[in-house]
Amino acid sequence: MSDERIQIETPFAFNEENQREFDELIGRYPVKEAAMLPTLHLAQRQAGYITPAVMKYVAKLLEVTVMKVKDVVTFYPMFFEEPVGEYVIRVCHTLPCALRDCKVVLDHLKAKLETDIASETNLAKGTTADGKFTLMKVECLASCDVAPVIMINDDLYKNLTPEKVDEILDNLDNL
Amino acid sequence: MVEERRILYEHLDVPDINTFDVFRQYDGYTRFEKAIAEYQPDDIAKMVMDSGLKGRGGAGFSTGLKWSFVPRDIKPCYLCCNADESEPGTFSNRYVLEKNPHLLIEGILICCYAMGIETTYVYIRGEFTLGKRMLDAAIKEAYEKGYLGKDVRGTGLNIDIYTHPGAGAYICGEETGLIESLEGKRGQPRNKPPFPAVEGVFSKPTVVQNVETLCNLPFIVGNGVEWYTKMGPTYADTREDPPKADPNTGTKLYCISGDVNEPGVYELELGLTCTELIEVAGGLRGEEVKAVIPGGSSAPILTHYELDTRLDFTSLTLAKSMLGSGGIIVMNETRNIVDCLLNIMKFYAHESCGQCTPCRWGTPWVRDIVQRIADGEGRQDTITRPKFGVTESGRWGDTGETEEIYEDLDLLESVANNIANVDTMTWNTICVFGIAVSWPAVSYMRKFRPEFEAAIREGKLVTLPVAEATVPPEENYAYQQRFIPKEFADL
Repeated sequence: MSDERIQIETPFAFNEENQREFDELIGRYPVKEAAMLPTLHLAQRQAGYITPAVMKYVAKLLEVTVMKVKDVVTFYPMFFEEPVGEYVIRVCHTLPCALRDCKVVLDHLKAKLETDIASETNLAKGTTADGKFTLMKVECLASCDVAPVIMINDDLYKNLTPEKVDEILDNLDNL
Repeated sequence: MVEERRILYEHLDVPDINTFDVFRQYDGYTRFEKAIAEYQPDDIAKMVMDSGLKGRGGAGFSTGLKWSFVPRDIKPCYLCCNADESEPGTFSNRYVLEKNPHLLIEGILICCYAMGIETTYVYIRGEFTLGKRMLDAAIKEAYEKGYLGKDVRGTGLNIDIYTHPGAGAYICGEETGLIESLEGKRGQPRNKPPFPAVEGVFSKPTVVQNVETLCNLPFIVGNGVEWYTKMGPTYADTREDPPKADPNTGTKLYCISGDVNEPGVYELELGLTCTELIEVAGGLRGEEVKAVIPGGSSAPILTHYELDTRLDFTSLTLAKSMLGSGGIIVMNETRNIVDCLLNIMKFYAHESCGQCTPCRWGTPWVRDIVQRIADGEGRQDTITRPKFGVTESGRWGDTGETEEIYEDLDLLESVANNIANVDTMTWNTICVFGIAVSWPAVSYMRKFRPEFEAAIREGKLVTLPVAEATVPPEENYAYQQRFIPKEFADL
């Protein structure tokens, strides 16, 4: 465990593009701390997940303690503290989707990707061996009229059936 | 058949309405121009008050009244637009953001002008990546065209709009949770008072409004108060003398999902009944309506006896439920209410922010009890215990009779009522999340008690026919207390 931690501790800094975006962001708020969520989103996009080094970097940028950043990161489900797959598949399983058989979609994904469902404290459980996909359940994605829905990274896929899921995953491979 | 009355959604399907030029062709920004040319800021605030517009986010609080609480001498004052739409069953804001973001910007501009606000933050759900992209593009265009930024259209007003992404927490839809989150902290709600109108984001007066509420403003200004108040019923609050008008004016974006043939968003005048709405949404998918959730998953459920309830703020409150965010979920005869409650309780147990103990512990407890019942391991033995009540001597005590109870159902109600008591409407938590948990838990259990009892008795989930699963009206606590309001004109 301790060895892994040391490996993760590679220093982090924004690349030029993100630095520009950050400079623009920080001017929007009267206090620097308020830029926390957008900054963490930027950092996660660059680093893949929030490592201790990212937290240190963000804390320094926003002039808060590292603990405060950790506090925020652990609260919000969209920030990952562990590596995730290239494609993060979020399957909605709240009532309107459940009424439209989201379980079939979820089971199909589980079987197809040969993986379990990630929990918030154990993302590795839902990540495929090749590190390509992470499968997780999420709460309502606010698209109940086109249920069941899944989100793959930033894109929403609607009215799903196992066949449609196959098609979508095949097309992802072609990209 | 009730006709759709599209106002906010009128031009939603016009191609490229998300661009400034096309939006402009459909009267875009003319309402804002009318506002700054013809009215003083206070006139606009008065118009909103007179229009009877109620906040569309969930609480249904009068927008005009909320604005009147904002002190005018403390600057800066902020506007937070709540686009953190995460209530299960609600999806109307998503379409506004993705398809017609300029309408929201115009609404924000009118609000900013009326309240003397210079900075607006649109707190947008982290998952709405497309919506955020579209809104960002629209904001950029509005800056280029001079409707945002310094000295808007030569009026001397400075108005900035920034989008702020959330990160997947349901509780950030609560106004003080949203403010905390906007300040870069955990989204844990604050104690009220002080209300955000007095001390909100960055300790300054803050107006927090839902996307749909703000989108109503251009139409109130553009078409006038009289035009607006003609839509929807105005009730009389007869508890006061003379009766006070209780307006439910305007249209509502009803989001209907679940077992209907054509789920989607329907913009209709407030005040139609549940049955009418299901008809508008292409009718029921299935044989019979078993239950309807009228206002997002937090709202108490309605049984098939209560389908004549009108879907507006006042009627639903008097029927011991709420319109909330207008997310209507319909369930047909094949659905098991225990299973549905389990799904909803898993949601709340996951989303509790962990700040207040009754909610942090109570919500998972409620979930576990429902899980146990659903797994067929509900406490099976019925306990015979002395029945307490008013004795012959007129005092409270042991009546000498015995009653049979299902231990787990009593426990469920007790735990839920200790998070927030649904009968007295008091909650032991900081925010209304507590009541959002116990409302469904208690109402599902009380209104569909036979199904819960059957699951415990049989040791597995049993889906009873609708008539058997539902508690008859004479035993339904909410049905007994419900009150159908009268329209003002009738009195």
